[in-house]
Amino acid sequence: MLRNIKDKFMNYSFGLLLACLTIIAISKFNNFMDNYELIILISSAITFTWMGNVWPNFRKLFIYTFLLSFISIYFYKGSLEEIELNFFLKYFLSSQSAIMWMTALYPLSLLTYWIYLFSKQDFYGNLATKITWIATMMGFVGLLVRWYESYLIGIDVGHIPVSNLYEVFVLFCLITSLLYLHYEEKLAIKKLGAFVLIIITAAVGFILWYTFEKGADEIQPLVPALQSYWMKIHVPANFIGYGAFAMAAMISVAYLLKDKGIIGSYLPELNVLDEMTYKAISIGFIFFTIATILGAVWAAEAWGGYWSWDPKETWALIVWLNYAAWLHLRLIKGLRGTMLAWWSLAGLLITTFAFLGVNLFLSGLHSYGEL
Amino acid sequence: MRFAITMFSLLAIASIIGTVLKQNEPYNNYIIKFGQFWFDIFEKLGMFNVYQAFWFLLILVFLIVSTSLCISRNTPKILKDYKGFQDRIREKSLLSFKHSYQFPVKKFSVKKTISFLKSHNYKVKYKPVEGNGDLIVAKKGDLQKFGYIFTHLAIVIISIGGLLDGNLVFKVQELIGAKQIQLIDQPLSKISLKGRMSEDNLSYRASILLSEGDTKTAAILRAKEGYLVQEIPFSITLKNFNIKHYSTGQPKSFESELLVKDKKTGETINKTISVNKPLTYKGVTIYQAAFEDGGSQLDLLVWDLNSSQPSFKMNSQIFKNNKLTFENQNLTLEFKDFRKFNILEVDENKEKKPKPTNVGPNFLYKVRNESGQAKEYQTYQLPMLIDGKYFFMSGMRNSPQEEFKYLKIPADENLSIEGFMVLKSLLNNPKKVQSAINKGIKTSAFTTSGKKEAFKLGAENIIGAFVGGGYNSVIDAMDLNIPDQASVADKEKAIKTYINIIYLVSQELVRDYQFKNKNDIVFPANDAPRFIQDALTAYSDSFFYGVPLYLELKEFNEVQASGLQLTKSPGQFWVYLGSILLVLGIFCMIYIQEIRLWIFRKKGSNKLIVSLATNRDRIDFDQYAIEFKDKIKKII
Repeated sequence: MLRNIKDKFMNYSFGLLLACLTIIAISKFNNFMDNYELIILISSAITFTWMGNVWPNFRKLFIYTFLLSFISIYFYKGSLEEIELNFFLKYFLSSQSAIMWMTALYPLSLLTYWIYLFSKQDFYGNLATKITWIATMMGFVGLLVRWYESYLIGIDVGHIPVSNLYEVFVLFCLITSLLYLHYEEKLAIKKLGAFVLIIITAAVGFILWYTFEKGADEIQPLVPALQSYWMKIHVPANFIGYGAFAMAAMISVAYLLKDKGIIGSYLPELNVLDEMTYKAISIGFIFFTIATILGAVWAAEAWGGYWSWDPKETWALIVWLNYAAWLHLRLIKGLRGTMLAWWSLAGLLITTFAFLGVNLFLSGLHSYGEL
Repeated sequence: MRFAITMFSLLAIASIIGTVLKQNEPYNNYIIKFGQFWFDIFEKLGMFNVYQAFWFLLILVFLIVSTSLCISRNTPKILKDYKGFQDRIREKSLLSFKHSYQFPVKKFSVKKTISFLKSHNYKVKYKPVEGNGDLIVAKKGDLQKFGYIFTHLAIVIISIGGLLDGNLVFKVQELIGAKQIQLIDQPLSKISLKGRMSEDNLSYRASILLSEGDTKTAAILRAKEGYLVQEIPFSITLKNFNIKHYSTGQPKSFESELLVKDKKTGETINKTISVNKPLTYKGVTIYQAAFEDGGSQLDLLVWDLNSSQPSFKMNSQIFKNNKLTFENQNLTLEFKDFRKFNILEVDENKEKKPKPTNVGPNFLYKVRNESGQAKEYQTYQLPMLIDGKYFFMSGMRNSPQEEFKYLKIPADENLSIEGFMVLKSLLNNPKKVQSAINKGIKTSAFTTSGKKEAFKLGAENIIGAFVGGGYNSVIDAMDLNIPDQASVADKEKAIKTYINIIYLVSQELVRDYQFKNKNDIVFPANDAPRFIQDALTAYSDSFFYGVPLYLELKEFNEVQASGLQLTKSPGQFWVYLGSILLVLGIFCMIYIQEIRLWIFRKKGSNKLIVSLATNRDRIDFDQYAIEFKDKIKKII
């Protein structure tokens, strides 16, 4: 009973907090937003309130992330030079440092998950989960502060950090780990971090290479085609799709190992793994569908046609067809087991090609993240 | 259904081909790439425009037909399921369910049970079985099955929308010979009816290129190797085209100020469009798609790099040609492009990372000689800061496939090209060169007049070789003079001496010029050695510049052109409608769980049977069934 009251109290106060933040944002920055952006702001506040209420750990993440971001912004004092001068910015809270912390913590949590897998001691499992949460928090702080930093470069340069390959790779890590953390908590199985964190660590590897080899972390102003409120919706929705598909593939790896009797005693039951793969793919599919449709609506506005058979569009269609077939076989034909696990793993290849390969090998309208 | 899946796979494979093989390129590129033999085969298969190929559209049609068949076959059954309840079920089969429970009851209230089920969102049907007992049938999550209809209907609607926006109409017209793709460039008004698509064309994506101040009344449809004219119900005038830039120099927005005038009513609309902000008028949407030069005027100064000839003025315009007799050659200068802003990453300083900066205007032109061969040039108006020094950059290439090779001319004290031009004129003036050499000899350490004379002759030869062909021809001349048996070290030493002589003579020329023109300081006072060296390098490089004709851009009057895209897309509505249906359908299929429930009490029995079933076996359902059964147990 008491717990119930406490929960309710937390829910309401979180909602109230977000309402206040939204009102402050609107009153301060109304002039910089068009109506669509206003709608996006308010609906995000509602979405985050809802997410925080059904998932208290998300609420925690949200609060800490914003707290740290505000502290960071306070340290900036409105000047980029502070990054070098201020100790906390230089080593912890500037966007670049926060993202570097993220890139250090994800591999660490992968390691801890593996220790947990073989030691079977809950201590390590809990530790791994905590590290993943902190890495995710640092990543979000990094992106939010980067958003602020972009406005320090020039008031007209400022934009949401989902506009190039570097930024969306960070986003990919964050969304994949959030999805994973959610399922880990909801299904009360902890053992799959050792697999899901592999793909996140691989993405981290790419981010590091991209940063140090190519200097991709530099903030660039938006090309005219990207200057639209649609970017705020299209890109994140797409990455929920990519993240979920990647997670599904990693769970399928666990399924195949268990099926072959390799480290089987350390893994959940086959039907649980199967169900998780399905859940991941279905949530990914619905977001990917929405993202592709929204992309089409945006394309109709920016490029003069909702579909131009641009390589990225076409590969999005191929990814969509692939998972549509997967779901079709499972839902309508009732197919289960190894074959679907292999398929979902192969799906990752197709998804990766759509996400990265198109930028590497093919050119087209979506050439924002060239390597 | 297997057929539909096959169609899906074919669609995917065809789509992949379209992304791997670049679509809609000029046919020549394909011929170079694949050779004539494969080109012909690929062309017939429609590989260069996969998404509008006959067979691709055929796949789409098959997909529509087979999916429609799926819908028509399954819909009646789904509707029947939706309306009805499975109430003709036997006790035996009830007991055979995975989730079937029996527990004792004393007093069984049908009413209470029904209202309980209803409060949990079940649809309920009560059926007293005559002489047999009470049966309550309940179900929820019916909509899941509608997900099937929604998604499949969505695929049909989206495909139809896509076909509506395809070019089927034209394809048919082309097949029966009513329309024909135009291959020759000519004024739009001269194109016959066969090359014109009427205003009523169902759907199109056409383009218009407008210079500032121009008005156009029809658009161009690109098709295969040629084009068609697309009539439009209005005329468009470009009043102004504007590019805005970020403080860092990158383009921020492209805006066209348009005047659109209805051909019938004469109604006019003034509207500025930009990327992401199109204008829709009379069912046609006008987009900002591209921009280029619209015939800018350039005031040029023509320099001969390899003589002491003075420069002269020339006026030119982009897309126009100028004829010129230069060093006894009849040349045609073809002006191709002018760009006011150019963002380049230049190494301004060696320490700093290159940053994108605006380096100012440049223009592109070709110099064609009498035999028709042309070289392409790209010249920047303003000097660029490279490694801390300013240079005028002008690139030359023999064909568009090559990269530009740049001539780097150092800027003088006033950041002008004049200093270099003065120096090259002095070098090309034998009298000045001679007096410079004489002056050098006077201050030299040569003692005998014989040695002096020998040096003078040598220096004159070296300078002569340099002026006539740069450092290369100095080396060639040296090879003739120096005996073959001389060691490499000796040769290197000789080259160094020669270069030094050229430098010293140039220094003397500069010093002399500056002494005589005290009011007109062109050479950098502090940095003269560096300037002279760079200038000599530039002079030497000018022999690789094709024609030694340098165009200096003095003034320009920019005229821009805006590329517009005109889209008529009646299928868009259907595609969006289908998309909404698709999302709805996927949501129903994935997130709605269909549950059926039976509660049965045999007459006279004190046992109650509760059975639950779902059409999809899921882990959460097992948990749900156990919990829900307990709830029912409680209320009874």
